[in-house]
Amino acid sequence: MIGIVVVSHSPALAQAAVDLALEMVGETPPPIAIAAGAGDGIIGTDAVKVAAAIDEVANGEGVLVFMDLGSAVLSSTMATEFMTTTDEVRLTDAPFVEGLIAAIVLANAGASLDEVDREARAAMGAKQSQLADQGGAPDAVDAPAAETPAADAPAADAVSADPTEVTAEAPLVNPDGLHARPASLIVQALAGVDAKLTITDVTAGKGPVSGNSLIGIMSLGAAKDHVLKFTATGGSAQEAVDTLVAMTGEGFGELAS
Amino acid sequence: MSTSTISLDQLIAWLSRFRDLVTEKQSYLTELDSAIGDADHGSNMVRGMNAVVEKIGAEPATAADALLKSVGMTLVTSVGGASGPLYGTLFLRMGVNAGPVAELDAAALGAALRAGLEGVVARGKAEAGDKTMFDAIAPALDAWDAAVADGADVAAAASVALAAAEKGRDATEPLVARKGRASYLGERSAGHIDPGATSSTLLFQALVDTVSS
Repeated sequence: MIGIVVVSHSPALAQAAVDLALEMVGETPPPIAIAAGAGDGIIGTDAVKVAAAIDEVANGEGVLVFMDLGSAVLSSTMATEFMTTTDEVRLTDAPFVEGLIAAIVLANAGASLDEVDREARAAMGAKQSQLADQGGAPDAVDAPAAETPAADAPAADAVSADPTEVTAEAPLVNPDGLHARPASLIVQALAGVDAKLTITDVTAGKGPVSGNSLIGIMSLGAAKDHVLKFTATGGSAQEAVDTLVAMTGEGFGELAS
Repeated sequence: MSTSTISLDQLIAWLSRFRDLVTEKQSYLTELDSAIGDADHGSNMVRGMNAVVEKIGAEPATAADALLKSVGMTLVTSVGGASGPLYGTLFLRMGVNAGPVAELDAAALGAALRAGLEGVVARGKAEAGDKTMFDAIAPALDAWDAAVADGADVAAAASVALAAAEKGRDATEPLVARKGRASYLGERSAGHIDPGATSSTLLFQALVDTVSS
């Protein structure tokens, strides 16, 4: 798994953002280190602390660094001169909270530095798409996360041409719809599975989005009782679709009570 | 006291004087920063320079490079705000440029300061007129180099550099900030002198005070 470093002026802000993101993953999260505050309890950032955090999580897979603003960026660029690891270290301009959540989920699923960074940087897409639905942010209708997975989706002709294609539909039973936690479970369930799976909200006519994209799935904004269509191709297409139909039927483990 | 070169002791006196000046001007720096930033420049610089004076007192350096690098690292870890990496880079690069020497002449000190400024530019991506510390230091070093080309010693070069820095600092007042926290204010940042340009000018004031006394 790639390493993740969270740089903030405020230790409380960094810890809270990490705690929020960790709710999305299970027992074995990716290596995460916080570099927040300067000196003795001062609001600020410290390049030496950032370098130490990078070295702490580097394990050969690359390190993605999230920053809040201002000196966090300066300290992080400076830290790349102080660190001792030879891992690729990338400072991402992804949004702090949304990006971190997307990154932790995808990193936990074993994605590469490139994939995690791309997903994190597209992480504003879910919120933009949600607000656009409510007329709140009309400029954001073409949010990148909503677009990117759609571009991956095969055209109708290509679909029928792929002999491995499997499709199934299932109604969403979760009271809160397909929100962040179930979306993260989908990404993790598909990690390492030999299948390319897309999800369409048939009821709302939204999608398809890639099943590997937390933000893409969240951007569907699928609500309870909407019918989801899963379409997969590849060696384990049937298995992938079956798994998702089963998970959807069980309400992604949220129907316990 | 000769002013044709600056000794290790004078470099230490310079840093100590800089600490005294930022302490004297702490509320003024903070007032400037509260107009266009997050109101912490005064306290950040005082905290950083107090840590520097304490550090170089506790671990006396035997060469200019070691001294200046220690100053830079101390600022990086103690300031907290953007002035930490920016001033930190200034002193670290100065140290690398100065090398393991016990004294610097006017040309060598000018070259070290120039290397420091280039480091600041690489770090903060500031250009002339962005309303930053660059707007005080860059004209100061241009004046320094011109004076040295005319045969000035450290004291004479520092004196013309200070005048240029003050002029550059005052010229930041009408500018709209394009870097740092002040840039969030856009047009509203105009009409205030830049705090970073002000503290940078104190660096040259401290040098004049040190080598002219």
